[in-house]
Formats: sequence, C-alpha cells, structure tokens
Amino acid sequence: MVKYILKRLLYLVFVFFIVSIIMFGIYKCVPGDPARMMIDSSKQTVDPERYEQMYQDARERLGLDKPVVVQYVSWLGNMLTGDFGFSSQYRRPVAEIVADPIGNTVMLNVASMILVFVITIPLGIITAVKKGSVLDNVVQVGTVIGYSLPSFVIALIFIFLFTKLLPIFPISGVNSAGISGSGFTIFMDKLYHMALPCIVMTFASLGSITRYVRAAMIDVLRQDYIRTARAKGLREKVVIYSHAFRNALIPIVTVLTGWVISVFAGSVVIETIFLWNGIGKVLYDALMQRDFMVVLAMQMFYVVLTLAGNLLMDLAYMLVDPRVKLNS
Amino acid sequence: MSNKAPKKKSGSFGRSLFGRLFGGKRELSIFEEEQMQSPFRTVIRNFRSNKVAMFGTIVFLIIFLSCFILPIFFPLDVTYTDSSQQNIAPGFSMLSVPDELKNGNAVDIAGGGTFGIGADKNGEVYLWGQMDDRLKEIPENMGKIVSVSAGLNHVLALDEDGQVYTWGYNRLRLDKIPLEMEGVTNIKDIVAGYQISFALTDDGYLYHWGNENLIEISPDAYQGHIEKIAPNATTAIALLDDGTVVCLATKDNAFQRIPEEIQGKVIDIASTDRTAAALTEDGQVYVWGSSDYGVFDVPEELQGQCTAIAAGRYHFTAIGEDKKVYAWGRNNFGQTDISAENVVSISNGYFQSYAVTEDGTVVTAGLKGYLMGTDGFGRDIFTRLVSGGRMTMTIGAIAVIISVIIGVIIGGFSGYYGGKVDNILMRFAEIVASIPFLPFAMILSAIVGNSLSEIQRIAVIMVILGVLSWPSLARLVRAQILAEREKEFVTAAKAMGIKEIAIIFKHILPNVITVVIVDTTLAFASCMLTESSLSFLGFGVIEPTPTWGNMLNGSQASTVIQNYWWRWVFPSLALSLSTISINLIGDGLRDAIDPRSNDR
Repeated sequence: MVKYILKRLLYLVFVFFIVSIIMFGIYKCVPGDPARMMIDSSKQTVDPERYEQMYQDARERLGLDKPVVVQYVSWLGNMLTGDFGFSSQYRRPVAEIVADPIGNTVMLNVASMILVFVITIPLGIITAVKKGSVLDNVVQVGTVIGYSLPSFVIALIFIFLFTKLLPIFPISGVNSAGISGSGFTIFMDKLYHMALPCIVMTFASLGSITRYVRAAMIDVLRQDYIRTARAKGLREKVVIYSHAFRNALIPIVTVLTGWVISVFAGSVVIETIFLWNGIGKVLYDALMQRDFMVVLAMQMFYVVLTLAGNLLMDLAYMLVDPRVKLNS
Repeated sequence: MSNKAPKKKSGSFGRSLFGRLFGGKRELSIFEEEQMQSPFRTVIRNFRSNKVAMFGTIVFLIIFLSCFILPIFFPLDVTYTDSSQQNIAPGFSMLSVPDELKNGNAVDIAGGGTFGIGADKNGEVYLWGQMDDRLKEIPENMGKIVSVSAGLNHVLALDEDGQVYTWGYNRLRLDKIPLEMEGVTNIKDIVAGYQISFALTDDGYLYHWGNENLIEISPDAYQGHIEKIAPNATTAIALLDDGTVVCLATKDNAFQRIPEEIQGKVIDIASTDRTAAALTEDGQVYVWGSSDYGVFDVPEELQGQCTAIAAGRYHFTAIGEDKKVYAWGRNNFGQTDISAENVVSISNGYFQSYAVTEDGTVVTAGLKGYLMGTDGFGRDIFTRLVSGGRMTMTIGAIAVIISVIIGVIIGGFSGYYGGKVDNILMRFAEIVASIPFLPFAMILSAIVGNSLSEIQRIAVIMVILGVLSWPSLARLVRAQILAEREKEFVTAAKAMGIKEIAIIFKHILPNVITVVIVDTTLAFASCMLTESSLSFLGFGVIEPTPTWGNMLNGSQASTVIQNYWWRWVFPSLALSLSTISINLIGDGLRDAIDPRSNDR
C-alpha cells in the first residue's frame, strides 16, 4: 500500500516534470521579447545608447541572458518555492492575483456539485430500478441531450429565460456594483449572483452523472447477492437502499473523490459568460491580455490538479473497495 | 441471447419487408437466421431496429447533407458586411407591398434600408418590411400625404399643405423637424438618406438635418438654385436650376469628378453608395464615382432614350421612352432582375426595386428578407450557418481521424508487444491525458495562431484537437488487443511467419474495429463540441470564417440574447442537434455491437 502510493507519487513527479518542460518550451516560443516589452515605454524618451543599456539590464533582471536550461531550472525552482512569477497585466505577483478567484471558483463549484449529487443520485437509482419504464426512457433521452449540449448553449438558454421571461437573477458579476454592508450582506449578494452560473453548471453535468449512477446501480442489481436478498423475502426498499445502493456507491464515491480536487479548477466557458471572477476567468483574461506568466502558472496548476485528481481517485477506489488490487 | 428472442418478433414484419426488398432471400426461422448471419449483419440489424438511433441517424444525415450541399447554392462571401442590414429579424416581408397601394392607388412609393413606405390616393401612409417599433408609430394627425421618402431607419412624409412629418430613428435629431423650417409651407420635395433628412422648397432652398458627422455637406453656395438632391451614405449631390450638377461635400471625394460635358444639360440625378448618375436632356445616362459591381455598365438600349433614373444602395433602375424598366449594378439579391412594361414611375429601396405600371400594378424585385435574419454585421445567418456547419464538421472529422490514427497505432503496438513498449507508450499516453484539454488548446492557439494565415490556423486547431484526444482510444484498443492476441489465429499467423505489423493491423485489428468505430463516433461529437467551445471563446477559428462556435461568439451580450434571438438560437440549435444525433448514433452502435450494454 505505502509502496504503491510512493510509486504513484514518484510517477506523478515524473509526469509533472515532463509537462513542465513542454509548457516552458511553449512559453519560450511566444513571439515577442519580454525584455523589450518591459522597457517599451521609454523607447521614445531616451537616447539609443542608454536604451540599449536599459535593454541589457532588463534582460539580466528577467534572466534572459542565461541559457534556456538555466532559465528553466530557475523558473521551476521559483515555482516549487511558491514564487509563480509576476503578472505583466496587473503588475502584481501571480499568487496574489489568483487568491480571490480561487475562493469564488471553489464556492461556485461546491454549490453546483452538491446540487448535482442531490439530483442525480436519486434519479439514477429510480431509473435503474425501473429500467425500461417510460420514466427511464424519458430520462435516458434527456441525459443524452444533456451531455450533448455544449455548456455555452445551456448558458445562453438560461440567460434568455432568466432575463426575458423571469428576471429574478442577475446575469453577470460576483457582487452588485458598489455594494457595502456587513460581511453577511455581501455574502448573500454573492450567493444571489451565483444562482445563474450555478444552475447552468449543474445542468451541464446532470446528464453524464445520472447515466453513471444508473449504470453502476444496474450492474449491482444484476448481482447474485441481490437475488439472494430478494429470495430471503426482504422488502424491495431494503434490497435497493441497503443492499444494492451501498455497493453501487463504490464507483460513485470513487468519481466523487476525483472531483473534490476539480472544485479548484474553474470552468473557463461558464465563468467567462457570467463574468464570474474565478480561476477560469483569470486564465481567459490572461490569454486575452497575453499575460503569459499568469498563463504558465495557471497551466501548471491545472496539470497538478489533474494528476492529483487521478491519484486520489485510484486511492479512493482501493480504500472503498477491498476487492481491488492495485499492483497488477 | 435467448432472452432476446421475444423482442425480435416485434420488428419482424419490417425486417422481412426489408429483407424482401433488398436481400430477396428466403425467410428463415429465428434460429436459422441467428446461425446464418455474419456479426456485421447482426450489428446492422440491431442498429436498424433501434428507433432512437435511427432517428439520430436521419437527423444527422439531414444536417450533414445540408451543410455540404447547400453552400454550393448559397455561396458565402466571407468579407461581406453591410451596415444597413444589421440585426434584421427572420422574415420575407420586405417586398410585401400592401393591397391598398395596388390597383393604381399608389401615389408615391419609397424604399428604405429594410422596409418600404407608400402613400395612396387618400393620403394614407402604409409601411411594410422589417422595421422596429418606432417606425411603426405612424403619426396620427397628418394631413393628406402626397409624398414619402425612406432612409436607413427613418421616414419623411409631406402632406398637401407642405407640412413635413418624420418618425422612426430618434437619435441625431432625426425625429424632429428643425426649428428653422417652422412656418415654411412651400416644401416641394423631401428626401431621407442614410441617417440624414433633406427638404427642398419651391424656390430652391435646401434644409438638411441628421448625422452631420457622417455626411458633411454644405449647400450654402447653391441655396436658392437647388432643383433636386440625391444623397447616399457618404455625401449628397445636387442638381441646380441651370442644369448643372454639384457635389455638396465639404471635402474632396470621388463624386466631385463630375463629367464636364454634361454640365448644363442635366435633368435628373441619382446616387448609389459609391457612384452618382446623371440623366441629360438627350436621354443619355452618365455614371461616375467608384466602379464596382458593374454600376458603370448602363444598358446600351437605354442610352439616348432614358426618361428617369433611381438608385438603390449599389444599383440603378431607369425608365426608357419605351416605358420599359431597365436595371444595372449589383445583383446580389436579384434587385436588378426587374422587368415591367408601361412603367410610369420607379423607386428603389436599398436592395429592392419598385416599378409602378400604367394599370396600377406594383412590380417588385430584390431582397425579400432573410430566412434566419442577419447578424451584427449585416451578414445573412443562413448562409453562414451552412458554411459554418461545413467548417465545424470538417474540423471535427479531421481531428477525429488524426486521433484515431494515433490511438490505433499506439494502442495496437502497446497491446501486442506488452512489456517495456507497453509501459513506455502507456506512460506517454498518461502524460498527454494529464494535460488539461481546453486551457492547453487555448494557449497553443493563442501562441501559435497569431502568426498564421486563416487556413494554417484551422489546420493547427485540427491537429491540436487530434493530438490531444487520442489517449482514451489508445487505452481502449490496447485492452481489446490484449484479449485478442492470445487467440489461436494469432498463433497461426505467427507460425506462418507473417510480419508482426501485418498481424497487428491486418489480423487483429479487424476483430476490434467495432469498438474503434463506436469510440470514433462519440469522439467526433466531442471534437465538434471542443472546437465550438474554443471558437466561442475566440481561440479557435476566428471571424470572418464562420463556424457554429464563433457565430455564437458575438451573442454573449445579454442585449443580443434578449433582443436578437435569431443570432444565437439557430447556431445553437444546429450545433446541439448534430451533437445529440451523433451521440444517439454512437450509443445505438454500441448497443448493436454489444447487446449486453443495452442493459446498462
């Protein structure tokens, strides 16, 4: 067990290095000279000799005068010690810029995740138990539509519904402009602004998870021990909720743990549409403004999230289901 | 399979019909049939009996064929924009002249940007076409209207007492008659241009008001001599009482190069957006300005016998002494395809031509409207939708092909050789899979994309999509091949000394191809979705080349979502319908190949 985790961690570090090399290589391919961009404003005002001096200084300060390998190592060292670089757009360290958005993203994702599970688990169980019924067929078609629709189309539809037909929610932003008051008032205002993106996010993931829960449940219901339970004369409720659902939870919990990590990753599309100041929006803005230090840090952040999510998922699988052997 | 038997009976009639039509084979009992059929035929039969999947197939085929055939008939001019046709709702009412104006009742007809206006013998005013609510509010207490004129989005009307009325667009002071015109009753002509209004008095005095930043003119030098005015989107030219033509612009422009030989002989003028035309006493038409869309090609048979001219945005119409109507210039909406005899008067909308004949019929030609409306640049959404669909599907298809090729090769080698090769290839697949898709694709296209041409950019997007989406397929193929490689036919092939590559791809692969097909179908939908998301965010294919994703790019604003529903509903619908139908096909195929998955 410990050996397996160590092996996985080692492998994770290896993948992280490979991806970091790829990302740094891409970053180096960005057209444009960061040093020149830094001193661009003084080009008109100083004489050429002085300008050249300034340029060399800037190169030195940014470490551009050293070989690429040295640059990579120093960049990675900085990253690992928590120095993610300096945003050219905000003139502030990257770590400061993402602090607030991470909070917003987590808040939005947790809310929508709770909603998703509250809706999908009962729905999945019911459709699995009543497989082949009208309800099941309707839900099946609904889930196909649900996971086929791109999230921005769902967002457009909901904006239309909630601005034209039922204008009760604000359609963009994190807080009302110029709001002041106690912390609680601001928090409630935030929740109010969160309603629409949260609904859209929930809708966008309903389809695939309902299908997943249903499949897991159907698999379990086919097992011999369910037949045994029924043969014992147990009530159907007990069979389903006590015998079947607990076993069906195994794959569901596994997926859930993988997701816990993903609450930190914002959805670029939804946060951009609703101007929700989260991680995805930071990435989008940084790309639009060509603020590549932020982009690079965000990208590495996403890679770490994915890798950690995979690792957690495997570990959860092992913990929840003792039948799973990992060393194969 | 036995539990499937009762199900088969239900569809047996349709199947036997199908069998008789296409196979012509003897009807077999269920058990015989089961033994006789190849797995492939079983798959097709299972698929055909799945109503939902068949429905998806039909929907997808309709969309696919529309996107690949319709662009031939509705070619797309990617650079086309027209500021006068922005955000027009779907509909075909622009040439629907009301019945009240037919049968000789029309006194005056005028065409505007997207609508028409007419006055009948009783002095009543009628409007038709695409217009906003402000245009529909015809003033109540007008006198008997004798003359009307329509601009881009406002109208002018003149009653028999010389009183001028205006309504429609309410900015730029276009909705009010200027103060200095109060009490003036000898107005003889009114002209509404592109966000500008003109009124001309009996004694040749010209009033003008509206967007003077766009159209800078100064009639001061000619006041008291102006006979007729012909405005367009940039300037105005005027005909003076001595038969000369002048351009009223305060700055130099192409309209000032008026042919010298016509000065003093002109009886009528008209101007399109880029050119001006003058009609002389001897019936000759002269055109000057920027020569495009064939506006200089005055019909030969018209020269020398022309009696009146009128202009649209890019075309001219004229009446000859033979009372026929002639038209030339841009014909993108069929506005010059007008033919009528015994014509008494003509008038033009921006892309419409009207001719009134002696018996009172109103003959029309030109733009009727747009099937799906227009977007914020005045482009027809329908043509962009079908061309955009072709682009979206092509990108999705090529990306999937790239991903399938990589996935099958890597999965094949990995599964067949096992051991170290397997380990290295699968670790590589995991690295690629751990790169978060959308952010990475955005970064790549932001960095690589800027220095590329449009075609190269599209190619880069296809490659990015393909190269990042193969790992799941590679894993799938590997798992399948792991199971197949232990079977006897592989051992036999090895014993015969067949090359290993041939064993993998010729002997084993056909056995697992069904899984690949299902995965490819589902991956096609997800590639289309990813491309659309990228383009929607502005990192995929960029304007003006349309795709379904970037057509929605401009529709994020809540004003667009609320007021211009056609701009986002049609692309969303097309995209959603195709991904839904592709997913239905994929699910159906999976069920058909592995009937056990039906239960899941």
